Amino acid sequence: MSNGGDCRYVIHQNAYIKLVLHALNHKTSAVNGVLLGRLSGEVVEITESVPLFHSSQIGLLPPLEIALITIEEYYSSQGLSIVGYFHANERFDDLELGSVARNIADHIHRYFPQSAVLLLDNRKLGALRNKKDAAPIMQLYTRDSSKSWKQVESTGTSRLTTKEPSANIVLLDFISSNKWSDIVDFDDHLDDISKDWLNSGLFK
Amino acid sequence: MVSKTEESLLRQLENQVENGGGGAWEYLSLVRKLKLRRSDKVLKHGLILLNDPKKRSALGPDEWTLYEQVAIAALDCQCLDVGKDCIKVLQKKFPDSKRVGRLEAMLLEAKGSWAEAEKAYTSLLEDNALDQVISMRRVAMAKARGDILGAIDWLNKYLEIFMADHDAWRELAEIYLSLQMYKQAAFCYEELILAQPTIPLHHLAYADVLYTIGGLENLQTAKKYYASTIELTGGKNTRALYGVCLCTSAIAQLTKGKNNEDKEISKLAAAALEKDYKQISPDKVSLLGSALKTMKLQ
Repeated sequence: MSNGGDCRYVIHQNAYIKLVLHALNHKTSAVNGVLLGRLSGEVVEITESVPLFHSSQIGLLPPLEIALITIEEYYSSQGLSIVGYFHANERFDDLELGSVARNIADHIHRYFPQSAVLLLDNRKLGALRNKKDAAPIMQLYTRDSSKSWKQVESTGTSRLTTKEPSANIVLLDFISSNKWSDIVDFDDHLDDISKDWLNSGLFK
Repeated sequence: MVSKTEESLLRQLENQVENGGGGAWEYLSLVRKLKLRRSDKVLKHGLILLNDPKKRSALGPDEWTLYEQVAIAALDCQCLDVGKDCIKVLQKKFPDSKRVGRLEAMLLEAKGSWAEAEKAYTSLLEDNALDQVISMRRVAMAKARGDILGAIDWLNKYLEIFMADHDAWRELAEIYLSLQMYKQAAFCYEELILAQPTIPLHHLAYADVLYTIGGLENLQTAKKYYASTIELTGGKNTRALYGVCLCTSAIAQLTKGKNNEDKEISKLAAAALEKDYKQISPDKVSLLGSALKTMKLQ
């Protein structure tokens, strides 16, 4: 398989929740993150995620390069590779995968040809409390043979699911307890290296 | 821009207030002074003060400033009723006030009534063409509507008049970055460095943009600005230290090692990083080591 044409993507609860909490921690700017995992047959398992940046300079290369080198180094020792990219737009009603996101996604695609791009769907996040939905509140994009990122429509069997069906319920729980204020991202680490971008204590 | 002492004071006050330890007015005043966006906390604690008649009268004339601060925070959190109530109180106290007029227009903005807000701002500007805050609202509205090119247009017009507004130059640079217009962003940072040559953040941002544009000359210049950042921050800026290493590595890659590049500075930067990590973040020292090794091998 040379592209994400037929892959399914399963994201583990902790990886999923971390990304959404990161977005909630920085409501007034765009945020992004890296997805880590492995390929098992036709399924890409996203087992971990690392929140990257929240500053308005999200499109700059130096912090991104440092982050990717460091993250790849750390997770390869655990047998995991970079398998995708997460992005949340600055504005509530912006559901487009912008050029900065696409460029970073292209960068990440070089690590893993079946990589996925997940874009936070703010409307679904807002509706989560009222509508009990097990589907992840993100849009899935994959790169086709035309080398552009296309959104995968969620008709019939969804190609993006959470591993644990109750992930959204756990997410809502964390949101109501303001758990998002505990999230540390790579930007925080670069500003203060005592901050742990691995968020190792987050779910304990 | 907030200094480190101001930031720790803010965090301390924030923790205190959030955990019921009082100090709400000091916290709100600090947020106002530093012009920070902490709308959810301002709304929560500001309302507690305003809804307590004893605390409210203890504020004296500052009561009205608090109403304004809470109104804006309420609009930011989409609590339009609270915003409207605060604005009504201010309208009663200060009828025909331009400052309150501005809040009314911001309420229209928050409701999404863009055309009406635009009309309100235009009429406010007729009487006072040099009102910076209102001129800025135009930029903010364009940005909120997703009209990024319009925002750039308004911001450039604004800067023709108020060219000493450094925050505006930074905002413009960041908008250019979001559109990947790196050369234009670089120009903004150049203006900022000329205006405020001792602010390290400008040097750092400029270096980051030059590195992102790429090319040998830009990488060499970026390295110089990372170096000046290191100098201005006494070697304490992690991003600049990493930046020097990245530049050295990228330049070596571009020239295939065939130049007399000064590798001394990146050795010093790497050593400084290792020292800092050993002291502050020891569990990540070996990770840093492998990352630096990757860069040298590249």
